[in-house]
Amino acid sequence: MKSGLREERITALGGVKLVEECDIVTARQRARQLSELVGLQTGNQARVATAISELARNAFQYGHGGRIDFGIDLSAAPQVLWADVVDRGPGIANLQAILDGQYESATGMGIGLTGTRRLMDYFEARSQPGSGTHVRIGKTIPYPARRLTAQDAAAIREGFLKLEPVTTHEELARQVRELAYALEALKAREADLEARSQELHRLNVELDETNRGVVALYAELDEKAAALRQADEMKSRILWHVSHEFRTPVGSILALSHLLRRGTDGPLTDEQDKQIGFIAQAASELAAMVNDLLDLARVDAGRSEVKKSPVKVGPFLGSVRGLMRPLLTHENVALIFEEVDEGLVVETDETKLGQIVRNLISNALKFTERGEVRVSCRPSPDNDAVEFTVADTGIGIAPENLDRVFEEFAQVEHPIQRQVKGTGLGLPLSRKLAKLLGGELEVRSELGVGSTFVLSLPLGERAKKHGQPVVLVIDDEEASRYLADQLFRESKVRVVQASDGGVGAELARFERPALILLDLIMPGRSGFEILDELKANPDTASIPVVIYTSMNLTASDFERLGGHCAAILPKLGSHRTPAFQAMRRILKDPELFKDEPEFAEVANA
Amino acid sequence: MDRIPILKMGECLLVSIQVDMDDDLALALRDSLTSRIVQDKARGVLIDISSLDIVDSFIGRMLANIAAMAKILDAQTVLVGMRPSVAMTLVELGLSLPGIQTALNVDRGLKLLHCSPQGESSAAKHH
Repeated sequence: MKSGLREERITALGGVKLVEECDIVTARQRARQLSELVGLQTGNQARVATAISELARNAFQYGHGGRIDFGIDLSAAPQVLWADVVDRGPGIANLQAILDGQYESATGMGIGLTGTRRLMDYFEARSQPGSGTHVRIGKTIPYPARRLTAQDAAAIREGFLKLEPVTTHEELARQVRELAYALEALKAREADLEARSQELHRLNVELDETNRGVVALYAELDEKAAALRQADEMKSRILWHVSHEFRTPVGSILALSHLLRRGTDGPLTDEQDKQIGFIAQAASELAAMVNDLLDLARVDAGRSEVKKSPVKVGPFLGSVRGLMRPLLTHENVALIFEEVDEGLVVETDETKLGQIVRNLISNALKFTERGEVRVSCRPSPDNDAVEFTVADTGIGIAPENLDRVFEEFAQVEHPIQRQVKGTGLGLPLSRKLAKLLGGELEVRSELGVGSTFVLSLPLGERAKKHGQPVVLVIDDEEASRYLADQLFRESKVRVVQASDGGVGAELARFERPALILLDLIMPGRSGFEILDELKANPDTASIPVVIYTSMNLTASDFERLGGHCAAILPKLGSHRTPAFQAMRRILKDPELFKDEPEFAEVANA
Repeated sequence: MDRIPILKMGECLLVSIQVDMDDDLALALRDSLTSRIVQDKARGVLIDISSLDIVDSFIGRMLANIAAMAKILDAQTVLVGMRPSVAMTLVELGLSLPGIQTALNVDRGLKLLHCSPQGESSAAKHH
């Protein structure tokens, strides 16, 4: 090692930091470039670069990084390229031993230091345990083309600074790593997507299968429904045919047994008469059953026609009562018909209504051993329908059987059930008829207490007039009352008729009509008397009265009326317009009488 | 940049080191080369270092290691294209690369390995 080297003679050329492993490569490349720049030959360039590589690796591996500073001694002859490699490591304890070649390093550190010393002209190493290692190496520059000046050194230094920053490689490596990572992630995502796509495909296939199943199920359901409809139609058709075919022979039996009992072909003995009587009874029961079946089939087949007409409930129930009386065989059972509002009218098919009500009553009588069967009828709470109620105190129906009683041929198990005759067709037929009439047949019942059947039927357009303004017509002639009724047929007015004055005055108090049409000439009390009576009674005094007459009134007649009448309506003739107008005002109906010919003329004029 | 390519030529593997390797890259080369020897059932390995200015003790040792490992895996290693300055430096460093054969160029290296003749054209590229 040559001495006499002084720090201030060295001109700095630049340095390299040793932080990462790739800095070793940077350091040796810089060393090679510098060597070339300062005029070292190829062999020496390799030597310097290799030496720097060794030292840099040592500094990085054992010294936890450090730095390398290059410099040049311009004043020496020949000039010398210097490099200082400094680290902050733990230092080298057996430095001298290593340099003496007495140390064999498994990692090659020995070769590093001793090899470097052999490669360089100057080599100086200082190491203090704990404060790092400082190695200074130098290479003389033999046979230079020319000696380097301070300017050259400055140019080299500047060029050195401009060299690419060390971080490029590192940056590139990082980017590559990131790219690789991104690629990996992308692959993973692709695999995930693929898996999802497969799952989706699987689900789709499954869904398709389910769908096919559902479609098949629907088709099956449709088929079943069609089959059911067909079976129902066939049942109705068979029922219809069978019943129809039964009727003729049953009729023959009935007719012939009657003929026999009448003794047309010779008298019968008492015993024979009794036997024929039983035959006739059985035949008539059979006939009733066949008729029920036929009715049911008719309704089912839609062959049952509904002939609607206004039915006055009071008289209707009266006739039912007459028909049902013979069925009342139990002494302990009373058949009670409650009083019915006289004006109650329902527009429906009277025959079918009768069938239903008779069915209900006979049914109630069958299952009632003591107590009563009560028949009533009243308007529904909303005044839209009438409700016929047949309530008994019979055996009742268990809740689970309430719906079964409306099924065809269904009879509920009960001791009484076996005693009574019946086809099991009455209630189903009744319900079907009720539906046909646009109504409902419902039942509520308590076992052992009794059953209540409620038939509700719509009032119908004309019957709805019940509850509307009332016009009372008091006239002894039926034709006149009819004509008066016809005047109001298109209106909402309900016409109540009275055929004599006394009844008329009573009805006026009872009905409180909005208007009274009063005939003047009547047997018994005349219209004049009735008018006076109406005006004398505070209940009826305010009711407008229109005189409805066919005679020409004299001045004395007007005097007798005393200005108590609202208008004069001639039964015939052309002077009816003032009365029509007056009645319009009274009934507050501007549409009233618009179809009357005499009135239309005036209105158009 | 992160990888040294390894080419298969007949029964030989050809490695051309074109960059100044850092230590990690050198280690990666060692690992991938040994696994390729097994994978390709290679009989010989040709390592071309004609592009290298510098072979320091670490790289030198790594080359020696590769040769030793290849030998254990029944493959012969030939180092070709070493520059004179590198040879000088290696000797001065005291690194003699034991167990590693050298050849002046790829052509001679292939002949040394008795590798398939299609190596001729490929070898021409390096000269």
